Amino acid sequence: MPTEAEVMNTLRYVIDPEIGLNIVDLGLVYDIIIEEAMITITMTLTTPGCPMHSSITGWVENQVKALEPGYEVFVNLVWEPRWTPDMMSDEARQMLGQ
Amino acid sequence: MEPTQIAGEMSPPYKMVRKYFIASIAGFVTLTLLVFINAGSIQGFYFQPRLLGLTHIATLGWITMIIFGAMFQLVPVVLQVKLFSVKLAEAQFWIFLIGLTGMVISFFQFDTYLLAVFASLVSIAMLIFIFNMTASMTKVKEWNITGTYIAAALVYLFFTVVAGIMMAINLYHPYFKTNHLEYLKLHAHLAFAGWVSMVITGVSYKLIPMFSLSHGFSLKPAKWAFAFINAGLILLIIEYHLPERTIMLPVGALFIAAGNLVFFYQVYLIMKNRVRKNLDVGLTYTMLSFGIMIIVTLLGLFLVLENLLKPDYFTKLALIYGYLILFGYFSLIIVGQMYKIVPFLVWFHKFSAKVGLEPVPSLKDMYNEKVARFEFIMMNTAIAGTVAAIAYANKDLMYTFTGLMFLSSLLFLKNMSSIFLTKGAKNAN
Repeated sequence: MPTEAEVMNTLRYVIDPEIGLNIVDLGLVYDIIIEEAMITITMTLTTPGCPMHSSITGWVENQVKALEPGYEVFVNLVWEPRWTPDMMSDEARQMLGQ
Repeated sequence: MEPTQIAGEMSPPYKMVRKYFIASIAGFVTLTLLVFINAGSIQGFYFQPRLLGLTHIATLGWITMIIFGAMFQLVPVVLQVKLFSVKLAEAQFWIFLIGLTGMVISFFQFDTYLLAVFASLVSIAMLIFIFNMTASMTKVKEWNITGTYIAAALVYLFFTVVAGIMMAINLYHPYFKTNHLEYLKLHAHLAFAGWVSMVITGVSYKLIPMFSLSHGFSLKPAKWAFAFINAGLILLIIEYHLPERTIMLPVGALFIAAGNLVFFYQVYLIMKNRVRKNLDVGLTYTMLSFGIMIIVTLLGLFLVLENLLKPDYFTKLALIYGYLILFGYFSLIIVGQMYKIVPFLVWFHKFSAKVGLEPVPSLKDMYNEKVARFEFIMMNTAIAGTVAAIAYANKDLMYTFTGLMFLSSLLFLKNMSSIFLTKGAKNAN
């Protein structure tokens, strides 16, 4: 069984192409639940109605499936709590010039 | 409930939207080339065939063309609704292209019969657009401020078209009871403040926070700006149907100016709350465009005093006013936003499905930012120089700076071409 940290690490390869930062450092991944044959990732996006909507959730699914082919992957996209810049890592902040 | 449906499913076909984008880029280069070739004509009173021809390449071939393409792309994403008909959007493109080409040639030759014919074709294309957008937007489930601005812009586009076609017929077969030149002012301001600026303003509330990663700002000023601008435009519509100028003209102009200033304050609030502190080239263009918007707003207010100004002085200022609206305010924001939107559109179409399977370029790998920065300096030098050339009625300066503008448009063309032609394997990082 993979650990949450392993799943989180693999999600660092999913990049928001407009911002150029990965979704973990952006603070978009809220929760990872690993059950018997299922991995559920609860996440958000920076802007509701973001044109990247379908792509990013698709990449998350593919990335996790590549790590753990035996598991079903479910991406639970939520808008509450709403994403704020406070959720970003310090590294991400620096890269955005803060 | 926030929208949870995916934008990708709502988006119209890439090939349809691409047509509009490519045509508008070609329109911009054609415009700057023809302005350069005809630089000697850019002086004196604005109602002259060549200037009207050039103005319509700018307003239709460049500005409206890109708004059409951008609306087809953005309205489904921003309002979570499918475009009513892709076929109508395809048909509209060709009718519009033929209509505007014929219209510009008719202006240059001042053939008023052909002008009325081709203006009718342009009008048909516009009406198809208005119908297609209205039919799409009636299905919107969650309305927002951007949608409200776009809906109003469609109404003013309709009025602009009606005023335009009435004037085209009046040139061929005079029937106006009011002054044609006065009515031209209404047509121009319906187009500038009602159609183009309304779209720019409304879309800015969505795109600028998205691109600058801004959160937690109030959108109240956006609502006030909407009320002010619309009140001003309604007053102008009434005013220009009256035989003589009344107090409604300065009051209407003041309302529009107040609306623009409040909009500027709204942009300030958005930018103050942004997370991405570094301005990329797209946002740099955008911010300068808003600065010029303030200049033309104040200039517009001053021009209301037409009767108190010396005719020569008024003529020059009116020309500078029109030039700065088209090349400063509108063109700079379009160029800037195209540096944000076009890479995304192309990337989404070509590489979205390849992420994780093979190396894909990032958006910034798709064009040369240094070239874009250089182009920014060239374009703005050209704008400042052209304004000086008009002010001093100096033909040498005019050829120099309109030539510089043409060269800067070639750099823009170069960057846009490299975005459209990006191939995954070669440019992958």
